[in-house]
Amino acid sequence: MKELHNVNVAMRTLARELLESGTVAGVYGWKKGSRPTLTSPLYIQDAAKADRLAYDQYAVSNLSALLLDHRNNDKKRAIFVKGCDSRGVVRLLQDQQITPEQVLVIGLPCPGMVDEAGSLLTKCAECRFPNPVMADQVLGGVEVSKQPSAPTGVTAEAARKVGVGSRAGERMAQVAQLEGKTAAEKEAYWAEQHDKCIRCYACRNVCPACNCRDCIFDTEKKGWVSKAATSSANAFFAITRAMHVAGRCVDCGECERVCPMDIPIMTVNRKLQQDIEALFGPYDAGVDETVVPPLGRYQTDDPEEFL
Amino acid sequence: MSALSPKSGSPADCAVTEGHVGLPVLDPPPTAAPDTGKTKNGEWQPYIVGFACNWCTYAGADLAGLSRMQYPPNMRLVRVPCSGRVNPQFVLRAFQKGADAVLVAGCHPGDCHYGTGNYFTRRRFLLMQRLLTFMGVDPRRFQARWISGSEAPKFRDVVTELTEQVRPLGPNRLWREVEP
Repeated sequence: MKELHNVNVAMRTLARELLESGTVAGVYGWKKGSRPTLTSPLYIQDAAKADRLAYDQYAVSNLSALLLDHRNNDKKRAIFVKGCDSRGVVRLLQDQQITPEQVLVIGLPCPGMVDEAGSLLTKCAECRFPNPVMADQVLGGVEVSKQPSAPTGVTAEAARKVGVGSRAGERMAQVAQLEGKTAAEKEAYWAEQHDKCIRCYACRNVCPACNCRDCIFDTEKKGWVSKAATSSANAFFAITRAMHVAGRCVDCGECERVCPMDIPIMTVNRKLQQDIEALFGPYDAGVDETVVPPLGRYQTDDPEEFL
Repeated sequence: MSALSPKSGSPADCAVTEGHVGLPVLDPPPTAAPDTGKTKNGEWQPYIVGFACNWCTYAGADLAGLSRMQYPPNMRLVRVPCSGRVNPQFVLRAFQKGADAVLVAGCHPGDCHYGTGNYFTRRRFLLMQRLLTFMGVDPRRFQARWISGSEAPKFRDVVTELTEQVRPLGPNRLWREVEP
């Protein structure tokens, strides 16, 4: 992508400088994969490898959860972020998994991510935060914005053309469609989805909100959930995961992307987002670090419709 | 052998049960859901799990018992320190283990022994009930109530009401680990 050529050069230069000067101990970015349509995560600690960094419209991976690998290490790491990734970093900062001293956030302009066939990803069409919500530095002229906004920076025109954020108002369409079904249909639909799950935990591993040091699904304690992928245990996993990220999900859509069984995980997350907004007021997770997530606070006059 | 072990020859000698350092104590494999699907006079009886906060609802339930109040015997109470102690997994686990309905009950808002626990409960389960409804669970199967320590009649009424609400719904089969 020619708009991003200078951004790529700047990324490599910056990463090399940061590593050579010892400002950071490592840099999270992307590299070109084995296919032209594949841009995969890359972590470098060596300035000589900075030239492997690459960023284009296939760099869909959210790298923020990778910062957890170094949460016990005081050294600083640099991370390149798109708008959605930056919310993941805010998630980790707000959950106190990393400190601001441990991370150097470098914001990038997002051209809108595309799949192998070249069509815009649904999550990008529904994107409300294409610009980083926080960054220590930016490349490509992107603006840091904590408000839902239109894409900025060198790829703003390209992003507008492919329709980034054009369907932001339809984010809840899938939820609304399911809500219109009868209880029996919903039960059958979700039973089918849960039966597909192979419990690989890829959704958990990629999620910046799933940052518990000891996950309930890894615990040695007996009795919580069976390791077998039965419908009952899969439903337990799916609902527990959803409740654990409720009000904290940053809407990056990575869980659904990495799911090998194509389970509509984001539909559940969106359903929770929609209910939280309806019950407890508007809230966008991972945008403002100072606003406590809705399930971590309360108001004495909260609704009590189920009592 | 017999001189060393007074219990020698008993079946306990053959199975690893407890007390062995480093070995987990294993539950017997489930053969049937506990206590579920019990019938009385040939009629199916709902099995309801209630999580009762120690300071209000459990005291209320105790008072109901002391006052000899009559209510359906379908609810099994689990005492928890606070309704805020109940996490979503408790509820799911109850359904898996054969509950037909789950009740979470605690102090009235403002009366929490720990100050604020039930406010968090309220948000959490308001959301969870909606999520379970979205997954096809009947909302009557999962409810929450505020019952104070002096509200024995309310406890009786809640148990009665919940039992009568669940009875027409029949046994809950969703997410159950073992068939009754």
